[in-house]
Amino acid sequence: MKETPLSNCERRFLLRAIEERKRLDGRQTYDYRNIKITFGTDYGCCVVELGKTRVLGQVSCELVSPKLNRATEGILFFNLELSQMAAPAFEPGRQSDLLVKLNRLLERCLRNSKCIDTESLCVVAGEKVWQIRVDLHLLNHDGNIIDAASIAAIVALCHFRRPDVSVQGNEVTLYTPEERDPVPLSIHHMPVCVSFAFFQQGTFLLVDPSEREERVMDGLLVIAMNKHREICTIQSSGGIMLLNEQVLRCSKIAGVKVAEITELIQKALENDRKARKEGGKFGFAESIANQRITAFKMEKALVDTSDVEEKAEEIIAEAEPPPEVVSNPVLWTPGTAQIGEGIENSWGDLEDSEKEDEDEGGSDEAIVVGSVRADAGIEACSVGSQDAPIVLSDSEEEEMIILEPDTNPKKIRTQTVSAKQGKAPSKQPVKRRKKKRIAN
Amino acid sequence: MQTESKIRAEYGTDSGPRGPGCSLRHFACEQNLLSRPDGSASFLQGDTSVLAGVYGPAEVKVSKEIFNKATLEVILRPKIGLPGVAEKSRERLIRNTCEAVVLGALHPRTSITIVLQVISDAGSLLACCLNAACMALVDAGVPMRALFCGITCVLDSDGTLVLDPTAKQEKEARAVLTFALDSVDQKLLMSTTKGLYSDAELQQCLAAAQAASQHVFHFYRESLQRRYSKS
Amino acid sequence: MAQAAAVAAQSLAPGKARAARTVLDQVVLPGEELLLPEQDAEGLGGAGERPLLLNPGARSRVRVVCGPGLRRCGDRLLVTKCGRLRHKEPGGGGGVYWVDSQQKRYVPVKGDHVIGIVTAKSGDIFKVDVGGSEPASLSYLAFEGATKRNRPNVQVGDLIYGQFVVANKDMEPEMVCIDSCGRANGMGVIGQDGLLFKVTLGLIRKLLAPDCEILQEVGKLYPLEIVFGMNGRIWVKAKTIQQTLILANILEACEHMTADQRKQIFSRLAES
Repeated sequence: MKETPLSNCERRFLLRAIEERKRLDGRQTYDYRNIKITFGTDYGCCVVELGKTRVLGQVSCELVSPKLNRATEGILFFNLELSQMAAPAFEPGRQSDLLVKLNRLLERCLRNSKCIDTESLCVVAGEKVWQIRVDLHLLNHDGNIIDAASIAAIVALCHFRRPDVSVQGNEVTLYTPEERDPVPLSIHHMPVCVSFAFFQQGTFLLVDPSEREERVMDGLLVIAMNKHREICTIQSSGGIMLLNEQVLRCSKIAGVKVAEITELIQKALENDRKARKEGGKFGFAESIANQRITAFKMEKALVDTSDVEEKAEEIIAEAEPPPEVVSNPVLWTPGTAQIGEGIENSWGDLEDSEKEDEDEGGSDEAIVVGSVRADAGIEACSVGSQDAPIVLSDSEEEEMIILEPDTNPKKIRTQTVSAKQGKAPSKQPVKRRKKKRIAN
Repeated sequence: MQTESKIRAEYGTDSGPRGPGCSLRHFACEQNLLSRPDGSASFLQGDTSVLAGVYGPAEVKVSKEIFNKATLEVILRPKIGLPGVAEKSRERLIRNTCEAVVLGALHPRTSITIVLQVISDAGSLLACCLNAACMALVDAGVPMRALFCGITCVLDSDGTLVLDPTAKQEKEARAVLTFALDSVDQKLLMSTTKGLYSDAELQQCLAAAQAASQHVFHFYRESLQRRYSKS
Repeated sequence: MAQAAAVAAQSLAPGKARAARTVLDQVVLPGEELLLPEQDAEGLGGAGERPLLLNPGARSRVRVVCGPGLRRCGDRLLVTKCGRLRHKEPGGGGGVYWVDSQQKRYVPVKGDHVIGIVTAKSGDIFKVDVGGSEPASLSYLAFEGATKRNRPNVQVGDLIYGQFVVANKDMEPEMVCIDSCGRANGMGVIGQDGLLFKVTLGLIRKLLAPDCEILQEVGKLYPLEIVFGMNGRIWVKAKTIQQTLILANILEACEHMTADQRKQIFSRLAES
């Protein structure tokens, strides 16, 4: 599906508003939209909302053999998916440039900054390490995907607990959550991306651009930073020229924003931890706002199933009893058979027409033998049922028997094609074959 | 009566978080929570949660265009990894169910796309997908012949019937049956089963699902009434 | 048990069609069946509410129009969309019934006035995005005073306020920017300034309803120019950018507010 085009008047209005330092949603230049973090019931599952942009993050783990050149390090794997749910223009199964760019940026922000201690993920050096997989799904796209995704990734990683393992000799024991409490990952620091959109060749800048702002921007600068003001990655795209003081100013702003976001993340993690510890309610069901009129909840409902047995009995009693007799399989042509009344087999017809052609051509090798009634068919089938694949052509006599259906009434014509002996008596080949099979 | 007491007894011993008797877990639904799709809904059954987004009637690719009805597409996205065969098969089941109720002939040469994202799987996932898809279709205003709902029930090793099972119950069950039922006369739209069961048990499960569907449709009605309470 | 019985009673039981008059302005769901009042006194037994017989019989006919969200199936009237059932009584007959739903996706309807975005110029027609399933076509002659020589000045990306002359499910929709007398009548290219934003189709209908107080209230705040498209697009322009933004945000917020809440907001704004 195509994206709704941006009209000239929207573009002009947006740019003029930015010149006047006004934003569509009433924010100031450096304001972030509201960030909301909610956790699922599973460990390592979270949804991050940045305004209307939504990202789902889920961390999972698996024991794998390490990379050859990094025998003592666990593996980190990131995958951001842009599903069509997020915007109509995202097509399923297509690696767009945007997706590649975002995934690369995430890897640089989280893996290359060494925020996760990968050495602690080693179980047996050179043999078994943990592979941590971070799946991120964009659910709704309203601009600034990368900030939301980076927050979701680091929150999910902080929230995740992996199963405990113990090593005795070469034996690796995995413990279920009931046996031993799962262990959190060791995280050195929390990098968060902050995006700056530039307009009018870098004259104006906005933090956390919305989707419409992104569509009119000239360039984008993304700075990933942790709360210690260490820059983890920095990327400028869109081909704008920035002065070094502009970049420095951005990094200062990023420092402030990252500190705020990190505090929020820690608060959210703390709240969830408390809720879990106290055995209170947690998970997505609790995060649905009750006061919204678009939301509704129902407590668990008892379903009266007292009469299901009677109902079932009634239905079965009323229903026609299934026919006890299983109809006999019918063999149409070699390789095709049929049980019960079904779709008319078209193979036979094809064969029929081909044969007619042959007849017209004056070929004498195909001989139609007198009509054999259904009993012959059953006989032929009993051959089949005794010895599953009904291949009648691998005989020493190089004899091929084709049983063919006639339309109606059900007649089966036996056709014998033989290289050595041209003509065969009507029923004999079938019978002979049967005997042979039994003898086998 | 006998069955009921039997079910109750069974359930009492389980001492799970859910109460006695055959029950549905708590349900929650939020509509219109995504700004980009034409319709969206998140549906929760206990800890199972699915998010659905619907686009339509929208433009259709020429290769998929059908001249006399809308092209219905269902995309189911797992939470971890890439979609596999299991997702494809579920997509098909959901698509066939939707095809039965959506009045596609009113919008020929268009596409109706349903995107489902698994948020968390704690049992009865397919049923939850169906419910989320239905609420999202309603939110998008796609014309429908009737509403539909999904109900999963399982049969234990001793033949006890459990509605809306958790993941653990599904795992231990002898048979898992999922039905899609329509709201007009609780007719069966789709059924998929796994495991062994007798035809009497199938009818029992179906009857139980029909009883449970009344609750689900009641839930639909309440939540939609609330949604339109200010208009 | 009692609860289950209550649930069953409220559910959409088969054959439990409700009379349209009793559910007016209530929420109806897809699949429900509605009964229209039998207005014919000679009706069989005079039983009052009974299924409307749409196929003309010997009895006098009552013309009932079923609008969006309703569907005739044989001689039954079925609901296909969720929303509030509305009714409008014209001079005679049974009037019009329709379902007022809050959807976002627009489906072109003949006669609707919409705001479109020009996406392409090809030959002597413009392709206009109206938010439907395919772009509408707009002839360059369908503007006031346009001739083969005197083409209107329309660029790709411009906003067009026009009306559908062809809109049905099997054909490409066609727009014009003139009325039947060849006058613009307010239609044509919308100015280059101002803000375009999207709301639900239900809100547009609410704002355009003759008894809607929102527009009057908004008009009291600032002098403004405003265009409503039935496809859910609103274009608004006030003296300053700030005022335009405020107006856009107020109109968007009207979606989920009751009349009382709106009154409060407007009085608060008028003070400030």
